[in-house]
Amino acid sequence: MSASEHLLLRAQNVTVRFGGLTAVDAVSADIRHGELVGIMGPNGAGKTTFFNAISGVTSLSAGELAIEGRALAGAAPHRFAALGLARTFQTPRVFADLPVRENIRFGLKFAGRRPRKYWLWGEERGVPWALRNEDGILQLIGLAQLADVPAAAITPSQQRLLEIGMALATRPRLLLLDEVAAGLTEIEVEEMARLIRRLRDELDLSVVWIEHAVKVLLRHVERVIVLHQGRKIADGKPSEVVRNPDVIEAYLGDEMVDAHEGLT
Amino acid sequence: MNSRNLLWRDLLVLFGLSGWALALPAHASEFAVSMALTCLMYVALSSSWGFFCGTSRYLSLATSAFFGIGAYTTAVMLGELSWFGVIALGAGLATLVAVVMGLAVLHLRGTYFAVLTFGMAELIRHAISYFEKSVSGTVGRVLATVPEMGTIYHTVLLLAVLAVALSIGLRRTRFGLALLGIGGDEQRAQTLGVNTRLVKVAGFAFTAAIAGGVGAAMAVRWTYIDPHTAFNPFIGFQTVLIALIGGAMTVWGPLIAAIVFSVLAETLRLQAPQIYMMTLGILLILCVLYLPGGLASLRWQTFKAWWQDSRSWWKARRYEWSGDKARDKRKARENRIVGL
Repeated sequence: MSASEHLLLRAQNVTVRFGGLTAVDAVSADIRHGELVGIMGPNGAGKTTFFNAISGVTSLSAGELAIEGRALAGAAPHRFAALGLARTFQTPRVFADLPVRENIRFGLKFAGRRPRKYWLWGEERGVPWALRNEDGILQLIGLAQLADVPAAAITPSQQRLLEIGMALATRPRLLLLDEVAAGLTEIEVEEMARLIRRLRDELDLSVVWIEHAVKVLLRHVERVIVLHQGRKIADGKPSEVVRNPDVIEAYLGDEMVDAHEGLT
Repeated sequence: MNSRNLLWRDLLVLFGLSGWALALPAHASEFAVSMALTCLMYVALSSSWGFFCGTSRYLSLATSAFFGIGAYTTAVMLGELSWFGVIALGAGLATLVAVVMGLAVLHLRGTYFAVLTFGMAELIRHAISYFEKSVSGTVGRVLATVPEMGTIYHTVLLLAVLAVALSIGLRRTRFGLALLGIGGDEQRAQTLGVNTRLVKVAGFAFTAAIAGGVGAAMAVRWTYIDPHTAFNPFIGFQTVLIALIGGAMTVWGPLIAAIVFSVLAETLRLQAPQIYMMTLGILLILCVLYLPGGLASLRWQTFKAWWQDSRSWWKARRYEWSGDKARDKRKARENRIVGL
């Protein structure tokens, strides 16, 4: 098997401009099957804009985007979802009026829909056991007790889990997580990281994880992409990236040194 | 009750109501039948409006345009096509216009969408009136041969039942869920795989088809049709108001409100013509203030809560007006001073 066969998402020279401001400037990145990749960068580095661009929410000003060789630049977000790309939003965007279970069902009914074994009945084909129905997903993210509560009534950290559950309900192959650990306590962050690793391992997913908190991210991902002022300044293993002089400069050094100590 | 039981309950209620409406002309006076016809018209209009605009929260003011397109189709084509041909053509033309209009304006949200749909309705009205004046050389059309009252009544009844039945049934399908998602958070729905553009245009077209059909059927109630009566924007506003008063998100809200509103308007017009509009306005304001969820949100508990609220209000006033409050206050002050 060649390297390109393992390639899930290929982004080439992705550029996003808002008027005169170039928020993301010719960033290229390849995501392979089963990878756990982190994206980090200081405030305003263009992390979320890059995310929006590769999930179809913001249209590209220039550049190419392909999932398993299928070009996607300029397509509507539901096309991205149909091809197996799911994302969460930084501030949880759940359907507040609907119960938690219905929120999960939404993804299953749309991008997550698979042909059934027989024409109209039987289980859906090619679906991981854990994602077979709403209850499976609720158990996976640990919200099974809250299934019938309206999504507006659960805590923000639970809403964040629900966001992940909604994304999983689309039965994705690539999961994009936008600052899922922001504002959580240290224990919750660890749990979240463990959940993400577990999802990747059990569900055969690739995960791209944006996080502002560098230490958490570097401890858990296998590869990290560093953005700074809209450009990609580093791409590699966490232990290499923390020694990269550009990265140290971008972060004014101190945080990186801490992170480095944490890694060794 | 689970979702399946609810579906059966709704369908049975609809079946009963439509049977009752079907039997009405045989037993009621002509006046009652014509009032029932107005009710049915608003049931059809506001139920279909509520199904799309209520769940997806796209406030459309274009209902009068679709209604007018239907009505005008009848005015032009009545002699040449069969009755059902005319209705179908009116609905079809309205759908066509809705699809084009939807593709043009459905990416806008909120106020912009509402204003633009209203603008487009006005545009269509003036375009047709200009066309009539400069090309056809008339200002209106006279309907010479009209079908009898029974036919009109049954057609509008059929359209109303269709609108309510579809809004009951479609609510439970993926289409209904997609509309609900669009109403909740459109972009989120999109990232979960909903082709929002397609769904919105389809929903808008559904609303337009019903409105066009109703317009085509109701047009024969007037013997003389000109663009300004056919495209009367008041019909569009009234539809929105009825749906909102009833509770636009619900199945039965628009239906209840359409009946209450039509009967109330008619009674007031006959009993108190001077204060008819003012009373309706005050009732509307009260509805919006005290029943934000619409008539459909009324429960036994709502009345109980109102009763208890008014009782505790009266208790407080009695306490105040009898002088007990002032006495207690004075005593409390004295006690404090003694305590010091």
